Amino acid sequence: MKTPATREAAAAALLERCSDARLAEPGVKNYLTVRLASPKDLLAAARLLKGELGFGYLEMITAVDWLGPMKLEGLVSSRNPNPFTDKLPGPPVPPAAGAGAPYRPVLDLLWSFGNLRDGVKVFLRLEVPRDHPEVPSLAGEFAAADWQEREVYDLLGVRFAGHPNLTKILTPDFINGHPLRKDYAHEKDSYDGD
Amino acid sequence: METDRLIASEPGPELESDTMFINMGPQHPSTHGVLRLGLTLSGEVIKRAAPDVGYLHRGTEKLMETRSWSQCVVLTDRWDYCSAMTSNLAFSLAVEKLLGAEAPPRAQALRVIMCELNRIASHLIFLGTYGIDIGALTPFLYAFREREMILDLYERCCGARLTYNYIRPGGVAADVDEGWIAKCREFLEYLKPRLDEYDALLSFNPIFLARTRDIGLISAETAVHWGLSGPNLRGSGVAYDVRKAEPYCGYENYDFEVPVGRTGSCWDRYFCRVQEMRQSARIVAAALASLPPGELRTKAVPRVVKPAAGEAYAHVEASRGDLGILAVSDGGAAPFRVHVKAPCFINLAILQEILVGKKVADVVAVMGSIDIVLGEVDR
Repeated sequence: MKTPATREAAAAALLERCSDARLAEPGVKNYLTVRLASPKDLLAAARLLKGELGFGYLEMITAVDWLGPMKLEGLVSSRNPNPFTDKLPGPPVPPAAGAGAPYRPVLDLLWSFGNLRDGVKVFLRLEVPRDHPEVPSLAGEFAAADWQEREVYDLLGVRFAGHPNLTKILTPDFINGHPLRKDYAHEKDSYDGD
Repeated sequence: METDRLIASEPGPELESDTMFINMGPQHPSTHGVLRLGLTLSGEVIKRAAPDVGYLHRGTEKLMETRSWSQCVVLTDRWDYCSAMTSNLAFSLAVEKLLGAEAPPRAQALRVIMCELNRIASHLIFLGTYGIDIGALTPFLYAFREREMILDLYERCCGARLTYNYIRPGGVAADVDEGWIAKCREFLEYLKPRLDEYDALLSFNPIFLARTRDIGLISAETAVHWGLSGPNLRGSGVAYDVRKAEPYCGYENYDFEVPVGRTGSCWDRYFCRVQEMRQSARIVAAALASLPPGELRTKAVPRVVKPAAGEAYAHVEASRGDLGILAVSDGGAAPFRVHVKAPCFINLAILQEILVGKKVADVVAVMGSIDIVLGEVDR
């Protein structure tokens, strides 16, 4: 009987094998997050997780564009939501984003690997610059990466080197650009408040 | 004659039919929404299958970035509209994790009751529509009759029948009264013999068995490789259920089993769902029996939700698999980023592999057994 895998042991093995990797603090709340130093380490880390540590279940691939802060005036509505009375004050105008958010011009990628036998998971983090976002594809190791990488490519513009079919998946063909990036200014229309 | 011999010795080595490309959908009754399958056929055999999604992409993840945290719950209803309660729950749990709050015990129990009822309702839709896909029209009418009773229960409690907005960050929106609890118990009693009836009518129907039993086999390795979750993963024999692996809302206090299949065939995936309905009914009965009194919303979640900068991941066992929400806050009034790990989207991708080599007639049987909702595939 093998000893059950723990996320601590997995994280320690990752830190040992990948140079300059470190534990992300704060990472995803209540989970262990390992931040890789460079895209070169990704394949090795994924193979280590899958082959030796039993984390063969790729649950999620996603990314966050940390360009900020967003201007929310006119978006989070400041209008009185009740059209039948003009006496009630509307909800307060949302304040600007809080301090302490780590805005920087990067795309922060996130992978989640699960060990189904022991029910534990480990998150991998990797930062890539917004103007040259390229990481190796995991589609060769995990079929689950196929569509999820296409989704991240479509919505955030990260190129996955070695992906067999890196094409748009969710947005229509006539749309240029990557909608989940933060560099779109909102144009007010009839759906927005005053 | 030479030609006679060639025709008689099937399959003839030189008899290669031309390949043909056909579009299945986006307006096809068996795609349950707007999904297009590009099928390349050689005769009747599928050489290549390319699912084409995105027709229902409404950009809810982007929309959330310009709405306050509590307004976002409304958008979660629109992902998996057959099982909106679990989407509500996943998002609410993520927000609560960000805030470090926890819903009161009564709200937790109500969440379990509503989500399990929703699982039954959702699996009833699957059972009915899968029967139609295979050619059995009658079970659909029965399944929707039962589902209607669940929708009536929802309507009585929260006023909505499809998009509930019932489970919210910090608790639930409305309480249930004694009359509701009695009605719910009545429904559970009513459902039990009906499930046996479905088994007699559909599950062990020889025609249904012949169309599904040895079709669309997915081995456990393949299922894990493609990241399947929910009944699709368990149908292949992998007993992974988020309610057991990472219990939320007090699922660890309820006694239930995780049904698994043996071969990973269409029938195994189907029967997993049928058995899950029994388990869900069992959980609802237990939760009703031990429904604690108390308040419905915790004070730890303020009216204007503004979590400190950080990120949280919460996932639940939704009707169609492991639904995860990554919520990132920059301390502002709106989410900085929300990512939905949508089980339907990930489950659908495996069609590329398992349809190859199958006959055209089996496409609908295999696709139906994956049980997708396009609202969640495309978000």
